[in-house]
Amino acid sequence: MGGDRDTGDRYFEPQVETMPRDQLRARQEERVVELVEYAYGNSAFYRELWDEHGVHPRDIRCLEDFRARIPFITKDMVRAHRARTGDPFGGLLCVPVEGLTSVSSSSGTTGDPEFFAEIWEDAPPLVTAQVRDLWELGLRPGDRVLSPPGTFRNLMDPGYQALGAVVIEVDTWLGKMSEVVDALRTYRPAYLQMMYPQMVELEHLAEKTDLKEAFSSLKGASCAGQPLSRKMRERIRDDWGIDVYEYTSAADTGTAWECREHDGFHLWEDTVFAECVEVDEQGGWRDVPEADLGELVATDLDNRAAPLIRYRSEDLVRLSGDRCGCGRTHARMWVAGRRGDETLVQGRSVVLRDIWQAVEDQPETASGVFQIVRDRREVDELRLRVGYDPGLTADVDVLAGRLGEAVRERTGVKPVLDMRTEEDLLKTMTSVAKFPRVVKS
Amino acid sequence: MARADTLARARTLDRPELAYLVRFPTADGIRDMELTWAELTRDTAWVTARLREHGLTAGQRALLTTSGFEGFWGHAVIGALRELKVTYGIAEAMGWDHRRTSVFHRELDPHAVIGLSAETLEGLAGAADLGDMFRSTSLVLARPAAVPILRGVGVSACLISAVGPALALECPERCGAHVNGAEWRVGEREDGQLYVAAGEGRASLLPETPLGIAGRVATGRCACGSEDPRVLLGDANSPYSARS
Repeated sequence: MGGDRDTGDRYFEPQVETMPRDQLRARQEERVVELVEYAYGNSAFYRELWDEHGVHPRDIRCLEDFRARIPFITKDMVRAHRARTGDPFGGLLCVPVEGLTSVSSSSGTTGDPEFFAEIWEDAPPLVTAQVRDLWELGLRPGDRVLSPPGTFRNLMDPGYQALGAVVIEVDTWLGKMSEVVDALRTYRPAYLQMMYPQMVELEHLAEKTDLKEAFSSLKGASCAGQPLSRKMRERIRDDWGIDVYEYTSAADTGTAWECREHDGFHLWEDTVFAECVEVDEQGGWRDVPEADLGELVATDLDNRAAPLIRYRSEDLVRLSGDRCGCGRTHARMWVAGRRGDETLVQGRSVVLRDIWQAVEDQPETASGVFQIVRDRREVDELRLRVGYDPGLTADVDVLAGRLGEAVRERTGVKPVLDMRTEEDLLKTMTSVAKFPRVVKS
Repeated sequence: MARADTLARARTLDRPELAYLVRFPTADGIRDMELTWAELTRDTAWVTARLREHGLTAGQRALLTTSGFEGFWGHAVIGALRELKVTYGIAEAMGWDHRRTSVFHRELDPHAVIGLSAETLEGLAGAADLGDMFRSTSLVLARPAAVPILRGVGVSACLISAVGPALALECPERCGAHVNGAEWRVGEREDGQLYVAAGEGRASLLPETPLGIAGRVATGRCACGSEDPRVLLGDANSPYSARS
């Protein structure tokens, strides 16, 4: 991989990052007990909910009490409180609005965006929780980073700058990759944040540009918003020479990044208390064994503004507390998908992964730009919108026939295809953070 | 608290004096200029004073629409809002993100909206009456191409624009956007194009650099009391910012 990397000081906060799990657990317990009292005293949402469930902070003296007594919350519950009361923060806010530094929000690709209330000093919360990850990637004082494309979870620069990095102002949004490559050659940055559509654009540039040379100064690049397919990851790593670090949401409490081992996403458990559970239709639940998939439930341990407490993320994950090869003790998770992403076509289960594979297997659609179009989870037909590379496509109908057959072979369902150019499909994005795989129309 | 501890550790690092490498369009293409922490601090203080003149004060709310590559002025604006204890919401300046701008505006009822682009307005206009939406907002600081649209529907918008590596901000008098005269020298060339040059206090040298954009510069004391030069743009669709 390109770029120099100092491996002698791998941990930014060694005592925290490699803390024995029993100490980590004790720290979480102390924080959770404080949090419950704080939230009950200051949040209308929690006070109302916990009163309904007959729970009072005095009942919560340890993590076992917390898990046994405090109910789960969902995004829909917060939305309902917001709709009923008119409070834009859904009752979660624990301080007056005037006490907030800033308000960022979710991407809002599936409805009104949810607000994230923020109180901070040197750098906003989301990017601050990434400082350890960026250090692990190799970022050091004096390194240069390219500015990220968006500001949707606040200006990210202060986080990079907290590490002593110098931000180079480059428009890295769609359609600008040629300029980005020029900037890479000129400024030799150590890090940049990438999004999936940018990679699709870079793939086209790769035919006429030596991307390996252009990216050779990078210690690493990050990618978030959706998982990379195996093929895309191989292209980025092997053909372009980039050590790419995927990261994902830690159930809206922060982010979870891969370390240099690239074996799962590390949760920073001094900021989040994570549970992996299976919840049944009646609201009953059980812990799932470490090797099994369950839903990630998260509790904010470092958020005085509007903490999420036992928040059901809808992310299906496998969670492990085993020490990572990097030496860190904080749990790792492997994300399998989202609850609800599965589509039932006349009763037959169709998952994204199978469609993705079929799409990627066709040279004209190898970038994997596709969406399932559905207005509900159970449908009569599988409608797919697929982006193709016009430069590689001689006959769209022939491609559609071949692709349709490939999807049928993998899923058992013959799809109804809506073929668009990749560019047209990517232009429908309404977030710098996310290319939605399941859309309503 | 975990994040506070992380930042405390970060403060022990031996950090460079440089915060940004600012790239900006000129008549001869893109060029760059260094921005140090000391300069960013001074820029933030200047923006704070300008926003205070507009009446922004503690306890109010603002909405900032900006892009990731605009940190060199976005950082200063955010610093000013923090200094003034104004809570801000943030959305993208790209047109496709107009829905978030709309939701922030509806739910936060901001005293000020800063950085509105023509693309955002175009998106908003599909579902809202721009006049109804922004006439009741006390302060609207909009980008060059957005200002005439807003004024056309009765919104008393003021201009905010990057002028090369400098920031121009219109005062309540609305007779040109002020540029910090202590830090920058701006002027107009014989061909009617604006130029910018770094003041003596800037660490990075920037000789008189034509920006390839029509405009005038008014000097002398403004009715607001400021001696800072004022930029009057001749072309609303200026290349000063990718989000116009």
